Amino acid sequence: MNTFRKFSYLSTGLTYLLIFVGGLVRVAGAGMGCPDWPKCFDRWIPPTSLEQLPDHIDPAKFNIVLAWIEYSNRLFGALVGLIITITAFLAFKYYKHVNRIKWSVLAAFFLTLVEGWLGSILVDTVLNPINITLHLFMALVIVMLLLYAAQEAYYVENPDSEKMSRYPSNLKWMFGLLAGILLLDVVLGTEIRGGLEMIRKDNPMVESQFLLNMLGPFKYIHTILGFIITGFSGMLWYRLVNNSINPSKIMTQISTAILGLVLTQIIMGELLVFLNVIPTIQLFHMWIASWILGLVMVQYTAWNQSQLTHE
Amino acid sequence: MNKNIFLIIVCIILLGSGASWVIQKANSSYELTVIKKVPAFSFITQDGLSFTEESFHKKATVLDFIFTSCAGPCPIMTNNMTHLYEDYENVPEVQFVSVTVDPKIDNASTLKEYAKANGVKDDRWQFLTSDIESIKDLKKNGFMLYAGELPRGHAIKFVLIDQDGQIRKYYDGTDKASMAVLRKDLNNIVNEIQS
Repeated sequence: MNTFRKFSYLSTGLTYLLIFVGGLVRVAGAGMGCPDWPKCFDRWIPPTSLEQLPDHIDPAKFNIVLAWIEYSNRLFGALVGLIITITAFLAFKYYKHVNRIKWSVLAAFFLTLVEGWLGSILVDTVLNPINITLHLFMALVIVMLLLYAAQEAYYVENPDSEKMSRYPSNLKWMFGLLAGILLLDVVLGTEIRGGLEMIRKDNPMVESQFLLNMLGPFKYIHTILGFIITGFSGMLWYRLVNNSINPSKIMTQISTAILGLVLTQIIMGELLVFLNVIPTIQLFHMWIASWILGLVMVQYTAWNQSQLTHE
Repeated sequence: MNKNIFLIIVCIILLGSGASWVIQKANSSYELTVIKKVPAFSFITQDGLSFTEESFHKKATVLDFIFTSCAGPCPIMTNNMTHLYEDYENVPEVQFVSVTVDPKIDNASTLKEYAKANGVKDDRWQFLTSDIESIKDLKKNGFMLYAGELPRGHAIKFVLIDQDGQIRKYYDGTDKASMAVLRKDLNNIVNEIQS
């Protein structure tokens, strides 16, 4: 494995962890833990006592736990940004002539800069819900671009890995559609969470279950799309695993994993509705959605490799 | 393969318990110390009724100092207070109090008009007046807030007072993010009252 490939997997893995940490900031309600950006209460290391606060920031906003939760997201974000920057350099070094690798990593790099800037806007707008959604959406695009580059580099090094397999050829639209619906459903999911928060603000002291009932019809659309996603990933599984010749091991495993995770998501979603809106489940519900998106990307690259091999 | 799945499951359990720990830490991080008890006072409301330190009992109170003809920060403060007043409509344990720092102009009837203009329709939001010296004394010594050249030199703080008439925390009444913290703390006090 060359250095680029190592770094592409490293940056993908770390970005996934960062998405988890970002979601944790959200469910812990720590988004305003540092009311300024990029510093925290005007310090590079968050303050430990009220005396260290600058005059222009209301001390009521100081909460050391929330400050550190938010600040770890920023510190970790900076680290991941650095790793992605190195990955981008390595892409140009190792795959100067492979445009799809080079440009997708470069796009990921630029989007990472935008993502940092969006983080500052989030603080400026006191967590505007649309910005929160955009912040997650951008992270998902970045992780998919990184994973795409990593897989493509793998196939450049191992061009024969899909030599034996034969998949149906007209599936490109299905991958695109599945990824599109998945992204849309993530956005709807964040809207449910944002909507819940707004209703909670207008109705303090009311239990989450009742608040959920007050939400508009888009909570049903989120579930319906979930079932459509199940149908699509089932169809893809059937066509790639059952309806193909010699599917590769990676294809079989990934397709099965996607199906399993989609079903897990439905169970988790229903748990959130019927049990209670439990923050940890909420967090994993979002995180697994990001995994599914990544796996669909891996599935696509494997299929695409097979198509290219047999052209 | 089995080993990989095992590893993934272990990682997820670790991440999950770590996350639960952090969430639990965050939820219990809203500290509200007792700063001091509000001293005895007796002011008049917009309805001409008496309002004393006893009126804080069994209620969570958000209090500020304003004056009706103020063009500076007061409109922002009153606007923020109005949002709270509206949102906490169904929480009878919460009350709002605005004390004038300009009693010369702000008598009971002026305050009543001001209340009406800001959509106050019940006794959950009281507007208080008294003589200037008592107001100054309550503000400066009772609430430890700045009281320079009244009415103009008044503080922009919202004060959170608990069910025992004790000051628990101060907030910048013009800051959006501070209002979010205030809501959290206010809910915690209501929880204390309800339990």
